[in-house]
Amino acid sequence: MLSFLAFSISRAWQGFWRNAAMSLAATATMTLMLLLLSGFWIIQAGFLASLTYVEDKVGVVADLHDNIKDSDRLDLMARLGAMPEVRSVDYVSKDEALQRYRQERAAQGQDDLTSYLPTNPLPASLEVKLRKPEDYRTVAGFLEVEPTVAKVQNIEDTTDRLVSITTFLRTFGVLLLAVIGSIVLFIVINTIRLAVLGRAEEIEVMRLVGASDAFIRWPFVFEGALVGLLGAAISLGVLVGAAEPLSQFMTGFFQILPINVGSISRDVTLLVVGAGTGLGVVGAWVSVRTYLIR
Amino acid sequence: MLPAGTGASLSTTLTALRSPDARLDSPADTGYPAGLSAANGYGFVDTRRPVLVLNDVTKTYPNGRDALKDVDLVVPEGDFVFLVGASGAGKSTLMKLLIRDELATQGTVILDGDDMARLPRRKVPIVRRKIGIVFQDFKLLPTKTVRENIAFALEVTGTSRRRIRPKVERALALVGLTAQAEQYPKQLSGGEQQRTAIARALVHDPKIVIADEPTGNLDPLISWEILQLLLRINELGVTVLMATHDADIVTALRKRVVALEEGRVIRDEIGGGYHRAG
Repeated sequence: MLSFLAFSISRAWQGFWRNAAMSLAATATMTLMLLLLSGFWIIQAGFLASLTYVEDKVGVVADLHDNIKDSDRLDLMARLGAMPEVRSVDYVSKDEALQRYRQERAAQGQDDLTSYLPTNPLPASLEVKLRKPEDYRTVAGFLEVEPTVAKVQNIEDTTDRLVSITTFLRTFGVLLLAVIGSIVLFIVINTIRLAVLGRAEEIEVMRLVGASDAFIRWPFVFEGALVGLLGAAISLGVLVGAAEPLSQFMTGFFQILPINVGSISRDVTLLVVGAGTGLGVVGAWVSVRTYLIR
Repeated sequence: MLPAGTGASLSTTLTALRSPDARLDSPADTGYPAGLSAANGYGFVDTRRPVLVLNDVTKTYPNGRDALKDVDLVVPEGDFVFLVGASGAGKSTLMKLLIRDELATQGTVILDGDDMARLPRRKVPIVRRKIGIVFQDFKLLPTKTVRENIAFALEVTGTSRRRIRPKVERALALVGLTAQAEQYPKQLSGGEQQRTAIARALVHDPKIVIADEPTGNLDPLISWEILQLLLRINELGVTVLMATHDADIVTALRKRVVALEEGRVIRDEIGGGYHRAG
């Protein structure tokens, strides 16, 4: 078993270098395809993060009556916080509301007129963040019947539209990735098939001198894995090289979006190495099989 | 002194062979079913073991063409047989049946006791190691030296490195290519390339060497050289089955000749020429 493994690997290594032109062409194709795949994967990750970012903005804002008791307000907040749809509840007092209003006016370069008023006209409010924007109606309905709530700000239509757009975009993104994935699959497998085809004579001789299927197949499978791993290594090198300038270019983008760079690099590394090796192995297996079954 | 092997009782005895308990390879057995050795049509009792038995073999390709039709052929151990016939007569199909590249549509093909139709897939490579195959176009690997080409046959069948070396040396010596061992096929003459291919065919110590027009690409002088080599291998006890178009060689050597025409054996005679009259 061990000597068979050693045989297969050494034959794979030999096969790779003795047919260098074909092997390197296959590796180049593999590299380009892995870059295409990982590029789209990264774009997809950023895209999903953008959608999440936008959806996070959807929340329910409920204006409270003036002069309600602190205990009633705290009780309401506790009950809201216990709802599964609710991620967080923030209390904005009348003073804070006024302050925000003034900041907004100042940012727009407009006069602050509230200083002319005898009292603070802005209500205190609860800002409820949701886990999913689809739950808007449930939470809003809950708040509308609360006696301490004066008014629930109605953004129902906007929310509905947002949800339908993000759902569409998500589906589209997944479909696009699936299409790209299939293209990569077919191109890589065909490239390896060509490389194996170029060595049909070698396989023919092996069959004729009585090599068993395993002795014919595994060297090619290891060679396919070698092409995949080499392609993956080059792709990762390119990605690492490109990461620094790219992240500088997109600093603003990354600061806003809730992107976890660590988990994305881990996912991409796994994707590139896994897809590279997997495609190499499957491609070789399928290509050699044509010659074995008769 | 050779049997034509197409006696009247062949079909009946081989029908007995098909029964599951029939054994061709028991040590005490000469290999011939009782009736066959006694009545081979020539009055001799041939005690030699048959390496190759075809009984009533028909091969029909999916396009409906019969490449072989009712072929009976027995080749005993140590025989030297020329297989002649025009292109398309069925020689290649016959060869494909022997190496189990194809299965017979009807009838039995038995090689050294193994019924090809009942051979499990995983045993096919083991049976192929009993056959040495030589082709018109040599089928040498251009990226390997002579020595590597010969060793290749052993490497891919799982022979250990230690046992490969002496076997390769012996095969090289037998075909007289020890001095050219480190050269690549394209540095060799046609005759040397064919000798490399023969060495590769021999390195497994095969029971039978099947040569498919081995001299087809060679000039007459070199062809004779190759024939000398095949005859020597035959003298060493290896059965040789050679398909050829070369009338001069067949007629000159007066060996057993099996002629195919449109998939049928039209002639099977010992000491025959290429043509019926010869």
